[in-house]
Amino acid sequence: MQLVWIIVCLFAGGACAGIAGRISADASRWLSLATLVVAGLLGLSLLQPSLQDPSVLIAGSDAPQGQWLHLVQAIWIPHFGIQFLLAADGISVVLILLTLFLGFIALLSAWKEIQQRVGFFYFNLLWTLAGVVGIFAALDLFLFFVFWEVMLIPMFLIISIWGHEDRHYAAMKFFIYTQASSLLLLAAMLALVFIHWQQTDSLSFSWFDLLGLDLDPGLGMVLMLGFFIAFLVKLPGVPVHNWLPDAHTQAPTPGSVILAGILLKTGAYGLLRFIIPLFPDAAAQFTPVALTLGVISILYAAKLAFAQNDIKRLIAYTSISHMGFVLIGIFSWNAIALQGAIMQMVGHGLSSAGLFALAGALQHRLHTRALDAMGGLWSSLPRLAAVAMFFAIAALGLPGLGNFVGEFLVLLGTFQVHATTAVVSALAMVVAPIYALVLLQKGFFGPPSAALAGKVDTVADFGSRELLMMGAMMLGLVILGLFPRLVTVYLQPALAGLQQLGWGG
Amino acid sequence: MTMTELHALLPIIVIAGISVVLMVMTAFFRHQRLASLITYGGFIAAAVLVAGQTGSGPQQATPLLIMDEYSRFFSLVILVTSLAATMLAYDYLRRSDVFKEEYYILLSLAVLGAVVLVSSNHFAAFFIGIELMSVSLFAMVGYMVQGRTRRAVTLEASVKYMILSGVSSSFLLFGIALVYADFGVLSFSGLHSLLGLHSTSSYSQIGAAMIVVGLAFKLSWVPFHMWTPDVYEGAPVPVTAFLATVSKVSVFAIIVRFFIESGAFRLEALVQALVWIAVLSMLVGNGLALLQQNIKRLLAYSSIAHLGYLMVAFIAIAGSNLANTNLAVEATAFYLVAYIVMSLIAFGIITTLSSPERAEEAETLAHFRGLFWQKPGLATAMGLALLSLAGIPLTIGFVGKFYVFAAGVAGQLWLLVGVLIVGSALGLYYYLRLIMEMCKAPDTEPAISREETPLENRVVLSALGLVLLVIGIFPNGLITTVHAAVAVLR
Amino acid sequence: MVDVALIDHVFILAAILFCLGLVGVLVRRNIIFMLISMEIMLNAAGLAFIAAGSAWGQPDGQVMFLAVVTLGAAEVAVALGLTLLLFRRYQSVDVDNLKELRG
Repeated sequence: MQLVWIIVCLFAGGACAGIAGRISADASRWLSLATLVVAGLLGLSLLQPSLQDPSVLIAGSDAPQGQWLHLVQAIWIPHFGIQFLLAADGISVVLILLTLFLGFIALLSAWKEIQQRVGFFYFNLLWTLAGVVGIFAALDLFLFFVFWEVMLIPMFLIISIWGHEDRHYAAMKFFIYTQASSLLLLAAMLALVFIHWQQTDSLSFSWFDLLGLDLDPGLGMVLMLGFFIAFLVKLPGVPVHNWLPDAHTQAPTPGSVILAGILLKTGAYGLLRFIIPLFPDAAAQFTPVALTLGVISILYAAKLAFAQNDIKRLIAYTSISHMGFVLIGIFSWNAIALQGAIMQMVGHGLSSAGLFALAGALQHRLHTRALDAMGGLWSSLPRLAAVAMFFAIAALGLPGLGNFVGEFLVLLGTFQVHATTAVVSALAMVVAPIYALVLLQKGFFGPPSAALAGKVDTVADFGSRELLMMGAMMLGLVILGLFPRLVTVYLQPALAGLQQLGWGG
Repeated sequence: MTMTELHALLPIIVIAGISVVLMVMTAFFRHQRLASLITYGGFIAAAVLVAGQTGSGPQQATPLLIMDEYSRFFSLVILVTSLAATMLAYDYLRRSDVFKEEYYILLSLAVLGAVVLVSSNHFAAFFIGIELMSVSLFAMVGYMVQGRTRRAVTLEASVKYMILSGVSSSFLLFGIALVYADFGVLSFSGLHSLLGLHSTSSYSQIGAAMIVVGLAFKLSWVPFHMWTPDVYEGAPVPVTAFLATVSKVSVFAIIVRFFIESGAFRLEALVQALVWIAVLSMLVGNGLALLQQNIKRLLAYSSIAHLGYLMVAFIAIAGSNLANTNLAVEATAFYLVAYIVMSLIAFGIITTLSSPERAEEAETLAHFRGLFWQKPGLATAMGLALLSLAGIPLTIGFVGKFYVFAAGVAGQLWLLVGVLIVGSALGLYYYLRLIMEMCKAPDTEPAISREETPLENRVVLSALGLVLLVIGIFPNGLITTVHAAVAVLR
Repeated sequence: MVDVALIDHVFILAAILFCLGLVGVLVRRNIIFMLISMEIMLNAAGLAFIAAGSAWGQPDGQVMFLAVVTLGAAEVAVALGLTLLLFRRYQSVDVDNLKELRG
């Protein structure tokens, strides 16, 4: 039941914060914070499984069970066999906790930055979070799709109302990419359901019922592609990554934090939860293509990253590169690579959110995002610069921090099955330090740029609110890097169950 | 005529009564409030009568009209829609200086036509209903050209609409004559054992095609859509609201009944032509809407596209599998309701924002810029309607589109489903652009009047918005109703 | 039952009338002539109904014809009203005056 309460809490809190915003901006801020605290506590309670014997509850399905920690099932639209079916295993719980944690970060980074139409902003922020939590928990395909779309609109509004100079273009591009691809998802989903209907004479959108369907290979491939494109756009992977640099650059800081930290993970989660379990044969056939796309994403985006001058664009491209690791990790489909992929998702969530928060802080202070116009900040903003250093080296994959664990496990796992892919991807380990160091060099070391000269000393360093928020993320990355078992212990049973559904299980 | 028949016809008599009472009243004195109250009362009374008969089984009243669950469902939909449309129009009419009572007379006549149309199962009633509605409609479009506050484009729109309406009626009639010449039967069910089975003569084939052309004009299917944007733009917006909802829905409802009961789906060439009409409607409607700066024209093209979506479900009825066919009929009925709710909100907002006293309608993007910060209530309703038109979840439009999608996929109409996806993706752009416009910072010089929204409009728009959301989230009630309503067909 | 060949002839006549009317509506710019052409189309349909009704020996065809005539009258009543407005506005009955709606 906690799953339902988290979502309800976020929706209701969002609505209240929106209304409160008409009275006072501060009321809206504190209400949102209270909502997130409650949701966070509920989220932590997810770590304690509420299901003793899951096999009893999921009636009428012979899906592998045992890994499910929570399950909520209710009738919704019986005419179409649609249920209100939420379930969470270790993977979902980890990702939901990440979502709520980054929700806090986004809230804190919005605290000072968002000064206009405050109530409506928090409404959108909390509704996006609610949609994402829903995505990580929904196991009815229809419900999944509903949440998939519910998170879109508020995000679109966040970018288009509070974004930077080119916000309308970026918001539109973001929306059309994701929405058009999700229509493909809807069509493929319906086709799958109708095939199931023809074969069994029962109409159901439940993930459990649709597993192990006997699909014609050609049709299976087409349907798999429908799902794959939708998730690849969200991930994003080459060649449908084009919306991301714009959206990230133009979004306000909290928007970027949510986009990079959480929204991208929904694409990866979709690949993991739906594509391979529902279409094991087609996905197996498709693996070479997916791996190639992953490798191209990793290298191409890394190369583009170090050519960028706009700091947010640079970070956006590193995101694409990092998510490429997730893609190859998932399609390698063995225990190590999958664990790596999820660790990478969590690690990247924290590090990219940190970097975007940092870029936002810089823009707030210097009114520019151009690296050219920075430089020499190390001496004038020591705390900010130190934090930047930390996140930059986290992103380049320094051992001992979260991202390293993810990348290393992905490469290790991939090497066992697709050695070439792993070797080529490992090149990114060389490229990543370049862009990370470019970022540090241009932005923080060397002499201050002409534009900055004279202004540097008047700029304020991080205050306690920002240090708290950055510190929390840094702590998270360190814990993840040093004690990955704290997370993997939740992932292992879930992945073991999931793996039986794919190939070679 | 027996008492049971009379009882079945009572709603129709009540609606006819409204126009008679209003005409007599207007001959002696003019009073807009009274006329509007009589109209509301009549619609409510008729709706209650129809609702009271629901569940009492089919009742053939004279050979011309049938009162069954299907016709009752659509009569109810038409009556409620008309009630909402009239209420939304009140303030607009009050502020303009045209004759106001005529609007109510013509509107109730058009509603009478629409109700007769959806209840007909005989060509004679079908024809009388459709013509009663069309003639009243083009009179409604045209009569407001008089008065100080006329808009120059209204006359043009009404002349265009009148001529096209006349031409399409001729096509319809000639088609009916050809079918009649072939079989000697004028009732739909009488054709069921004939049409498409004994097609030795080409009369009935050409006839059916001409009937479809005639109806295609009324439904603005591409390539018979040219009048739509002009008439939508030129007509006063309360008339457009009525035209876009009631006339489209009633004609679509009867075309579904006609095709199923007469077995016209067996004419394969015709169904093939319908597929192409559907493809064109979806592409042309969405494609041309992309370019529009005028909101009324934009909504006109979007309605062309939505009728194209509806055709996907309509064509899916032709499938052989009974379960799929039922699904498809339900999908059309559900989508029609969704279409009414969202269009009515959109046009209702334009009506509310318009200033007829200055002969100005809120039809440019500038009227909507920053609306969200100036009139959050209206903007929220408009936003919901647009999201629903775009097919975003938790709105009635999404469930409707989902239904249509499901029908298309179940009927394995891959071409149509593909075009539906492309069309919806195009559609996102222009709906979103409008939403974005509403979210922008307002102009310094407000383009719209800043008066309070009249109570009537607020009540109707909130009710419609609520329906849009509630059915969007819990569609089960409407699904069950629709399921029962369409079960009587065939 | 009348001669079947005769029915065909009547229908050919009706079709010709219908096409004439249609062409008239499409090419004429004078609204009065457009209305006359529309009437011709309607009456072509009426003729077809009468022929079909007599072929089947039923009164239905003639009933439909009466309905058609009634419709024609109603349509023309409204149409002439509009024509009057057109004339008052532009001092001409040429529909080419109406060209503000584009796009």
